[in-house]
Amino acid sequence: MPSFIVHFAHYHEDFCLAELEALSVLEGVKIGYNKTSYSLDSPILLIDVESPALAEKLVRRAILIRSISEYWGNGSTYDELFAEVKKTPERWQQYMQCSFKFSVEGFGRSLTQKEKVAVIESFSFLGFQGPIKMKSPDAEFFVYEDYGKSDLPFPAEKPKHIWFGRVVGRGSRDLVDKFDVKKRKYLGNTTMDAELSLVMANQALACPGSLVYDPFVGTGSFLLTCSYFGAYSMGSDIDGRQIRGTAGFRRGVDGIKANLAQYQLAGRVLDTTVFDICRNPWRSGPMFDAIVTDPPYGVRAGAKRLGRKNGTVPEKSFRIVDGIENHRRDDYYPPTVPYEMSDVIADLLGFAAEKLVVGGRLVYWLPTVTDEYDPKDIPLHPALRLVANSEQPFGSWSRRLITMEKIAETGPANVLSFLNKAEHEPAHKNFRDKYFSKFESVSPTDSQ
Amino acid sequence: MRLITHNMLKCHVKNCTDPDKQFPLRFKDVQLEQIEADRNDEFLVRMLPRIDWAALLKTAKELNIELPDKVPESPADDGEFLSTLHTVILETHVKDGSMVCDGCGHEYKITNGIPNMLLAEHEI
Repeated sequence: MPSFIVHFAHYHEDFCLAELEALSVLEGVKIGYNKTSYSLDSPILLIDVESPALAEKLVRRAILIRSISEYWGNGSTYDELFAEVKKTPERWQQYMQCSFKFSVEGFGRSLTQKEKVAVIESFSFLGFQGPIKMKSPDAEFFVYEDYGKSDLPFPAEKPKHIWFGRVVGRGSRDLVDKFDVKKRKYLGNTTMDAELSLVMANQALACPGSLVYDPFVGTGSFLLTCSYFGAYSMGSDIDGRQIRGTAGFRRGVDGIKANLAQYQLAGRVLDTTVFDICRNPWRSGPMFDAIVTDPPYGVRAGAKRLGRKNGTVPEKSFRIVDGIENHRRDDYYPPTVPYEMSDVIADLLGFAAEKLVVGGRLVYWLPTVTDEYDPKDIPLHPALRLVANSEQPFGSWSRRLITMEKIAETGPANVLSFLNKAEHEPAHKNFRDKYFSKFESVSPTDSQ
Repeated sequence: MRLITHNMLKCHVKNCTDPDKQFPLRFKDVQLEQIEADRNDEFLVRMLPRIDWAALLKTAKELNIELPDKVPESPADDGEFLSTLHTVILETHVKDGSMVCDGCGHEYKITNGIPNMLLAEHEI
């Protein structure tokens, strides 16, 4: 298979490869690459794809890929690169007369216009005679100088490596701007940023014909991004004020519905419903192609589930208020109790194992404490296969985007859920307490 | 709320477990609205096995909506059927009203198209 140069956005590095793999499944485009050749320090990856047309298809929905180019050469110096390019002169022929342009980019150092022109001129041996056209040229060539990731104040003078190719396709990074939360009519204080919401839609394989569900829908970011890519979507939340937009930022704009109108997605975002996922009214059986969610960590929005604080006797349901039983009143809101993080996740996996169709995906965020993190913390379920685990670090804690795929039908979810619960206490347990104590572990008292 | 969503929801009050009564929920005092939606035949065909047809038929009758008694043998090739299905499950909205459980009598309110499925303290 021919080789192509993938140019990652070099942002959220730990998510790039996972997204590329998801796109390969989503678009049905086979790829091959050497896993050891990928480094978080470089935004370039060489992959094999059957044709330029398939390479273009592979990246068209990509959020973390800027472009993909047909490989023409690489080298640690320009002499090496030119020698490589000159090995396949037959490739040059079809671009002799067409309009073209060159793009030169540096990683780890920015290039001046003068430097770029010098680089472009050094390729004159190709002998292209067509006109140079900056806007929509027939062929676009791409020179990439990698100076390496450096913390030094003065970057290296010479690139460590140079890549050269013909651009055959681009990702969809313009969507990051389109879905920018600042531009949304409605948002809340836990609204996920646009870029990661879009990446999640790719991880979930959201596409025309699929049904996606978010059980902690909040202000509905994931419904927007998944449905933008053609999926039908549904959401629920224990807090109806988030859905209706009667609390939080920008209240009074009609909540999630305002965003559906803004992005013209009301035809595919089917419904948002108010209930507690722990006591959910879904009838039994698999229904969803993907579950995409940001479970409440209990930090900014305290996680809650329905429950009684003391004992088992319902106290307030039947109290008579203004002549009617309390629970029949329009403004009745049932009591809630805190919902511990590790329980949220265990329940989510059990729910996904039952409600996803086989082959469907669960995509969710898991907060972890950096010092205590152990790969064993990632909750497993016999019906779910771990597909990807990408970390977004925030210093003393991280959040991880976990992608799982349902591989088999199972029996009742609660019997199987969380097999590793007993022998291992995950570091995200009591995450809220750890967050507010700034992750300082209680050190044992000195006793000498 | 669309009828596709209604077809997926059952009464979940504690001790209300009679499968013949907790689903489908019966509409009461509902205000219907037709809103155009994006049609995708692949989606409709994929959803068919996930839809409880008997329940949908029962609900449609209550609302005086026409629907064939049975799903045709090859729905993917039946444009007329898919068109009807699309109109019923994706374009028919309940704007306001409620859904009542024939088992326990719980009334789930629908306000501005958003169903409130929360349970009261004594129902969990």
